[in-house]
Amino acid sequence: MSDWMRRVLEGKRETRKRLAALSFSEKLLLLEKLRDRSLLIAASPLRQQQLHRG
Amino acid sequence: MKATLAIINQMQADGVIGRYAIGGAVGATFYLEPSATLDIDVFVSLKPGHGSSLLTLAPVYEYLAARGWPVKGEYIIIEGWQVQFLPPGDALGEEALAQAIETQVDAVPTWVMTAEHLVALALQLGRPKDFTRILQFIEAGVLDSDKLDRILARHGLLAKWEKFGDRFLRNL
Repeated sequence: MSDWMRRVLEGKRETRKRLAALSFSEKLLLLEKLRDRSLLIAASPLRQQQLHRG
Repeated sequence: MKATLAIINQMQADGVIGRYAIGGAVGATFYLEPSATLDIDVFVSLKPGHGSSLLTLAPVYEYLAARGWPVKGEYIIIEGWQVQFLPPGDALGEEALAQAIETQVDAVPTWVMTAEHLVALALQLGRPKDFTRILQFIEAGVLDSDKLDRILARHGLLAKWEKFGDRFLRNL
């Protein structure tokens, strides 16, 4: 594994740790943002076109 | 989500449900980093209907529908969240519900399953996303392995756990 890739993975691990350490209330606010984003993506015309094409 | 939990607490206060505990992805979020989900799994203890020994979710749906919360398939949309109410299907589910821990979301009390019960239930379900979640729990280092072993032994899941280990943990 390259140094660059190792640093990327380490960075991801740190971010996950930082997020896991937030309070439950803070994490639930993030969940709401993630949910809204997922719903937005699902409703986008591009996504709908993809679904219709199968 | 705070508003959703307040409604569920009101249902409890009104006697529609007994004890409840959040499981699934939202329950896992108590211990792990948040990961996208569209629904909340709420395990509930129910009371038998009048003159019947059957446990049914009908009173839950009737209570919420009467207050204007729409039903969408197996979900009820409460304050923007798809909520699925699940009576515990077996002894593991019942234990997970009984041993859930109390926490608060902006001063609203609520109950979340223990990390070990969430892992045991995920193992029992055994879908790819459940295995991913178990690995997240292991990586996060939040599990009490003795407690998990006892739960797995009590509910006949040790062989499944061993298989999981062979498949996903052997090369770690």
